[in-house]
Amino acid sequence: MNDARPVTIIMIEDDEGHARLIEKNIRRAGVANEIVPFANGTDAIAYLLGPDGTGLVNKGRQLLVLLDLNLPDMTGIDILEKVKGNEHTRRSPVVVLTTTDDQREIQRCYDLGANVYITKPVDYDGFANAIKQLGLFFSVMQIPEAD
Amino acid sequence: MPITSKSFVRTTALMLLVGLLALLGIVGTNVWLVERSQGYFDEVTEARALRRSVIDLRAMLQDIETSQRGYIITLEPAYLEPYENALPRVAGGLERLKAQLAPYPAANEALAELEQNIGFKLREMSETIELARQGRVEEAVAQVRTDRGKAAMDGARAFFETFLSDIDDQLTIGVNNQRGTTNALRWVSIGGGAIILMVVLGAIWTVLRYTQELNQARREVEEANSGLEERVRERTSDLGKANEEIQRFAYIVTHDLRAPLVNIMGFTSEMETSVDTLRTYMEGKPAEDNPAFDEARIAATEDLPEAITFIRAATRKMDGLINAILKISREGRRQLKPDALDLEELVNNSLAAVHHQIADKSGETSTDLRASKLVSDKLSLEQILGNLLDNAIKYQQPDRPLKLTVRSRHLPGNRVLVDVQDNGRGIAETDHERVFELFRRSGAQSQPGEGIGLAHVRTMVRSLGGDITLTSQLGEGTTFHINLPRDVRSYLGKIDR
Repeated sequence: MNDARPVTIIMIEDDEGHARLIEKNIRRAGVANEIVPFANGTDAIAYLLGPDGTGLVNKGRQLLVLLDLNLPDMTGIDILEKVKGNEHTRRSPVVVLTTTDDQREIQRCYDLGANVYITKPVDYDGFANAIKQLGLFFSVMQIPEAD
Repeated sequence: MPITSKSFVRTTALMLLVGLLALLGIVGTNVWLVERSQGYFDEVTEARALRRSVIDLRAMLQDIETSQRGYIITLEPAYLEPYENALPRVAGGLERLKAQLAPYPAANEALAELEQNIGFKLREMSETIELARQGRVEEAVAQVRTDRGKAAMDGARAFFETFLSDIDDQLTIGVNNQRGTTNALRWVSIGGGAIILMVVLGAIWTVLRYTQELNQARREVEEANSGLEERVRERTSDLGKANEEIQRFAYIVTHDLRAPLVNIMGFTSEMETSVDTLRTYMEGKPAEDNPAFDEARIAATEDLPEAITFIRAATRKMDGLINAILKISREGRRQLKPDALDLEELVNNSLAAVHHQIADKSGETSTDLRASKLVSDKLSLEQILGNLLDNAIKYQQPDRPLKLTVRSRHLPGNRVLVDVQDNGRGIAETDHERVFELFRRSGAQSQPGEGIGLAHVRTMVRSLGGDITLTSQLGEGTTFHINLPRDVRSYLGKIDR
């Protein structure tokens, strides 16, 4: 990732264990970027769009959103809709990382502008492997700066 | 109280019996009474004839007497004419009376007296008339004046009076008897008629009520029938929904169970790595004379790795179970694609897929497919057959070569029966139903497996609108019977409605 302008990884994941495992495995892939975790949708939205909800707060930030669809207060789809519907955040890559492999759900996410959809593998080895590869992928990704 | 067909038959039969008895009574009494009436009538007729004879005889005697007296007084032969006419008939009249009275011996004495009186009177009259003819009128008158003739005539008259009054009495009795008989006949007829009428009315009432109830019952049956179709459709649709609900539930539950499991497995893995590090470090340390160090060393090199091994095994097992449920629920949610299928092709493909496994152990396969065309979901059928064939291979009897037969035939109601028969180790009777349950296995646990296969098969067969059962003899072999609709669309149509 662009070292001059550090990319922040926003991790929206309600299961703290999963969050920790994801973080560990991303780190193992050599990604050293800051990871900001959120355990619910409301806090995440507040951070992403700012207290005024306009998204102006992101100006100059480089964000990558790691999104779980099953959240206690809202669905990840709502967050995805808001992020991709806001002119300041719509270019930020969103990686949906969730347990659901329902075809309609996947289609819906891509329709709404999700950049990557990953189903969490059931077994841990597969899970760890997938996250590591995702980390490797992150390390070569170009992230645009928000307007 | 509703009339049951049994009580209906009993009541009707009883009423018919009562009616029959009444009829027989009427007929019998009628015959008897008519007979009696005939008897009375004969008696009356007889009495009338007798009366006539008596009156005739009396009239004759009176005619003769009047004629005799007239002649003696006038000596005119014209007065003698009635005498001449009647005289020859008297004997006949008397004879007739005697003949009529022959059955009554009680009258014999009076009759003899009458005969005597008549005879005397006739003689007396003929004597006086003879005297008068000869001109000896004085003598004739004297003869009459002796009153002997009058006495005889009075005797005869008294007989006639008594006799006539007796006959009249008898006639009255006879007529009364006959009237009584007629009355009895009338009452018997009226009584019997009333009974028959009641029986007939009762029978009509019973029949009407029974018919009414039958009609009512038929209407109810018709209503129930028309409602039944609707209800069956509703129930089928409800069942389909409930089934969908359960599968949805299973899907959600497994998903939610999976999330914490990933944590457990993940952190176990993390822990394993840490423990490995710790163990390597501990093993490298030389032994110390410190009990606390020894314990820590044992914990790091033996206890912790052992605990982690068990945790891993348990989580792996749980993972397998959750995946199994997930697989089945996903199968239930899968959209079925009804296609026109050739069962023969399908079975041959499935057999070909396992051919080498069977041939390796010199087993053999055969097919007898009499029903081959059906409309169903190809993927489901392939998986069903594949599972059953795999099981047959897995659980074959080691000491004899496998014999596998797939048969199919039509069943009434537009259904197809597919039998998959093997000569494997068989399933104990107590497990015939159990093997279809999730996570249940039967017999020696000599083969790896989680007890999913047959549960999965049953789920798939049922989602195709069919059912699967088995017959098996332990140690002899097993036959699975798959009963499927010939066209799965008819079943799917019922659920969607």
